Amino acid sequence: MSKTYFDETHCAIGHPKSTFMQWMLTVDHKRIGLMYAAVMFTFFFVAVATALAMRFELFAPGAQFMDGDTFNQAFTLHGVIMIFLFIVPGIPAIFGNIVMPLMIGAKDVSFPRLNWFTFWLYIAGCIIAVSSLWVGEGFADTGWTFYAPYSLNTGTNVIMTLVAAFVLGMASILTGLNFLVTIHRLRAPGMGFFQMPLFVWGIYATAWIQLLATPVVGITLILAILEKYFGIGIFDPSKGGDPVLFEHLFWIYSHPAVYLMILPAFGIMSEIIPTFSRKEIFGYRTIALSSASIAGIGYLVWGHHLFTSGMSDMAKVIFSFLTFFVAIPTGIKFYDWVATMYGGKIVLSTPMLWALGTLITFAIGGLTGVTIAMVGVDIHLQDTYYSVAHFHYAMLGGVAFLLFAGMHYWFPLCFGKMYSEKHAKNAFYLQFIGFNMLWFPMFIAGYLGMPRRYFDYLPEFQIYHQVSFFGAVIFITGLVYMFVTFYKGIKNGEKTTPNPWNATTLEWHLPSAPPPLENHSKVPYVDFRPYEYKHGEPVVKFDYVTMKRID
Amino acid sequence: MANMLNGFEGARAATFAADVEQAIVINFWISIVLFISVIGPMVYFAWKYRENNVKDEEISDVTHHTTLEIVWTVIPTALMMVLFWFGYTSMSALRTMPDADTAITVQVEGSKWKWRYEYPANKDGFVHKLGGAYTKPIQDENGKIIEKGTMDKSALYVPANTNIILEMTAPLDDVIHAWFVPAFRMKEDVVPGRITKQWFNAEVGEYEVECAEYCGTDHSYMYSRVVVLPKAEYDAWFESNEDTPKGNYLKSGDAILQQHGCKSCHAIGTDKVLVGPTLNTRVLTKEQVLDVINNGQDKLGYAMGAMPGGNDLEAMGFDMTTAEEVAAYVAGGMKGEQPASFATCSSCHGEDGAGLYGTSPSLVSYDVDLLRNVLKNGKEGMMGKMPAFPYVSEEEISAIAEHLKK
Repeated sequence: MSKTYFDETHCAIGHPKSTFMQWMLTVDHKRIGLMYAAVMFTFFFVAVATALAMRFELFAPGAQFMDGDTFNQAFTLHGVIMIFLFIVPGIPAIFGNIVMPLMIGAKDVSFPRLNWFTFWLYIAGCIIAVSSLWVGEGFADTGWTFYAPYSLNTGTNVIMTLVAAFVLGMASILTGLNFLVTIHRLRAPGMGFFQMPLFVWGIYATAWIQLLATPVVGITLILAILEKYFGIGIFDPSKGGDPVLFEHLFWIYSHPAVYLMILPAFGIMSEIIPTFSRKEIFGYRTIALSSASIAGIGYLVWGHHLFTSGMSDMAKVIFSFLTFFVAIPTGIKFYDWVATMYGGKIVLSTPMLWALGTLITFAIGGLTGVTIAMVGVDIHLQDTYYSVAHFHYAMLGGVAFLLFAGMHYWFPLCFGKMYSEKHAKNAFYLQFIGFNMLWFPMFIAGYLGMPRRYFDYLPEFQIYHQVSFFGAVIFITGLVYMFVTFYKGIKNGEKTTPNPWNATTLEWHLPSAPPPLENHSKVPYVDFRPYEYKHGEPVVKFDYVTMKRID
Repeated sequence: MANMLNGFEGARAATFAADVEQAIVINFWISIVLFISVIGPMVYFAWKYRENNVKDEEISDVTHHTTLEIVWTVIPTALMMVLFWFGYTSMSALRTMPDADTAITVQVEGSKWKWRYEYPANKDGFVHKLGGAYTKPIQDENGKIIEKGTMDKSALYVPANTNIILEMTAPLDDVIHAWFVPAFRMKEDVVPGRITKQWFNAEVGEYEVECAEYCGTDHSYMYSRVVVLPKAEYDAWFESNEDTPKGNYLKSGDAILQQHGCKSCHAIGTDKVLVGPTLNTRVLTKEQVLDVINNGQDKLGYAMGAMPGGNDLEAMGFDMTTAEEVAAYVAGGMKGEQPASFATCSSCHGEDGAGLYGTSPSLVSYDVDLLRNVLKNGKEGMMGKMPAFPYVSEEEISAIAEHLKK
C-alpha cells in the first residue's frame, strides 16, 4: 500500500510526532480543505438548529417560545453563521483547497504556509463571532447586515460580531490571493486558461471578487466600529452622518459576495454534468467567460438592494437595468448545461441527481431574482418573505445544494471509499421535497405582504408558516440522513479506484485513492481539453507512475 | 379570501396598484416560459438519454451550435428588456408625485414602535395629530391568542379618490423604518434625518400598514392602518377638532399610555422589566442608585439643575463609603433605619424621597413632575436611553400620573 495524505503531511512548523499536531500544523491543501469542511459544517448545524427554533416560534401567531429580542438575536446568529462562517468561505475553502490544485496538476497551492495561516485566521474569526454569545450584553440583534443607525444604537455586543466579520473577511482576501497566484503560476505545462476545468474558472472568478470587493466591507466594518465607540459621525444622522451611506458601502461588497458564493458552485455543476452525461461539455468557452462576466457585472448592481431606501429614482432605474445583465450570462450557462445532456448517456448517480435537482431550485431562485430586479415590483416585495424565499432558493438551493453535489462527487477522491448510493439518493429526495415545501410557500406569503424579520405575524399568514414548518422538518431529516450516510461511508464504505465516475479532469488521474501527499507522481503535460469523451469513455488516459499519456 | 390582508385581492385599492400587479403578472408568465425552456428539456433528456437507453457508440459529440446559442442569448435578453420596461413603468406610476397643490400632504413620523401622522391646519387653524402604537394581541398562558391586536388607535384617516402625499421621517436618535401597505403595493424607508416621500390615491376601505425595515424589539408590532373614508365624511371631520372621524380617543391614562407606545417598553401592573423599567411604582435598583451617586445625572432638566456625582457629591458632605448602604436603603423602598448620610440626599429629594416642590425628582413615584421632565427631555441612565416624547400634552401627563397612582 502506498502512503496517502492521511498517512503523512508537511507541517508549517517543525515535524510533530502526534497525529493531532500534524493536523493542526498541516500545510497540505487537502487536509486543510477537510478541516474547513469539518468546522464549517459544525457551525452550519448550529445555524440550522437556530433556524428550526425560529420556525417553531413562527408555527402560530403570537409569542410562544421566544420574545422579540431573542428572535432578533436568533436570526442574526443564523445569518452571521450562514453568511460569514459557512457560505462565504464555502466552496472555495473546501473544494478550492482540496481539488483546485489537483485539477491544474499542482503539488499544492502557491503559498501553503499562508494557506495554513488563513485557516487559523478563519478559526479565530469563528471564535470571536461565537464567543459574543456569552460575552457582553448578548449576541448582536442587528441582522447580518448591521444596518446603521440600528447597529450604532443597540446595546448588544455588535462590536465582536463586527470584528469577527472583519477577521473572516481578511481570511477571505488571503484565500483569494493564494488561489489567484496558484491558478496563474502553477498550472501544469501546456494548460492554457481555456484548458482549465470549469471549476477552476469558477474559483478564479471568485478569487478576484474576494481580493477586490472584500476590502470594501472591511473598511465599512472599521468605520462602523469607530463610529460606535468614538462617535465619529459618518453614519449617525444625529451627528450629521448618513445611514444610507452604510447601506451603499455594505452592499458594494455584499452583492458581489453573492456571486463569490455561486460562481464556484456553477463550477461544480460544470464538472458533474459532462461526467454523468459521458460527453464533452457544450459551450466551454461561453461558460468560462460568463463566469468572468458575472464577476465583472456583479460589481455594478449593488444598488438593487436599495430600491426602497430613499435612493434617487434615476439611480433605481440604472441599477435595475444593469441587474438584468447578470441574468443573461447565468441563463446562458443553464442552456449550455442542458445542451450538454443532449445526446449523452445520462447516469443518474447521486452527484448527478443533486446537480439536476439544483437546476430546478436554482432556476426558481434565479427567476425570482429577476422579479425583484424590476423596480416597481421590488418596491412591493422588498423586505418581505418573497426576498427571503428568493435568497434561500439561490443560496441553499443553489450554492449549498451544489456543495452537497460536490461532496458526493469528490467523496471517493477524498476518502478512497464510497458511500451507500441508495441512502444518499433517499437523502436527496427528502431534502429536495422538504426544501421546496419549506421555501415555496414563502414566495406566496411575501407577495401577500408578510414582512421578513417578524417573530409574530397577522393570523392571515398562518397557513404558509405551517407548511414551511413541516417542510423544515422533512428537510432537516434529509440533511441529517445525508451526513449519517457520509459518516458510514467514511467508516466502512467500499474501497474505490482513483476514478470511479469515469471522469476526465486531472484530479481523477492520481496514483491512489485517497491521493498521496504530493498528488500526481509527475507533473503531467496538458495537450487536451478538460472534458474529452469518445463513446462514453475518457479519451485521455495516463500511466499513473510516469504521468505519460497512454491512449 | 381568508388568507389575505384587507383589500389585497385584485389590486384595486390604490390607483397604481394595478400597474404593479400587471408587471407581476407579466413577470410571472415570462418566468414560467423561461423555466420550462430550461427544465422541460432537462427532464426530457434525462429520460430519453437514460443510461440503459443509449449505447456508447450512439453518444453524440456536439459541443457547439452557433444558431442555437444565438437564439438562447437573444430571446432571453429581449424578454429581460421587456421585464425591465414594466419594472420601470410601474415604478414611474408609484414614484411620480402628484401636484402638491391639489393633494393632501401628511407628515409621517416613524419611531420605535409607532407611527404618527400630522395633518395640515384646517380652517380654524387646528392641526390634527394622529397615530400611535398598535395594541398587541393578548395571549393566554398556553400562548393561544384570546384577543386579536388592534390597529384602530394608530390609524391614518384620508379621503377616498384623493391624492395623498406622505412626507416621512424618523427622529434623529431613532432607526430606519419602512411604511408598507401591501394592498397598495407600496413601501419606502423612513430614514432618520431625511425626508422620504410616497403618495397614493385609494378606494374606500381599511388597509394594514406594516413596518418593513427591521427596527428591533417590537418590529413585528409596528402596525398602523390606512382608513379611507368617503370625501364628505373626511371633510366633516377634518374641519372639526374631533380626534378621529370615529370619535375622540379615550382619555384614560391607560389609553394614553397605549397610544403613545409606552407599553411597548414599560410593563404596567407587574414588576416585569421590559426594555425599560416597570411603571408600576418607581423601583430603583441598588445598581441604578449607585450609578447616579457615582456619576450624577444631568438629563432630567429639573429646576434644581444637575445632580452631582462622585467627588462633587462628596463636596456636599456625602460620605462615599456609605454609598452602598444608602443605595440599599433607597432600593429597599426607604424602609427601616435611615442611614445618616441620606441627609445629603434628603436636602434635595426630601425626607421621604418624594422630591421637593417639583424642583427635584421623586425617588419613589412617577409623579407629574417626573413624567413631564422625562417625556420632555428623554432620559439616559444605567438601563439605556429613552427618547423624548415632546408631543404628549399636559392633560395627558396628568392623566397618566393619576392612572399610575392606582
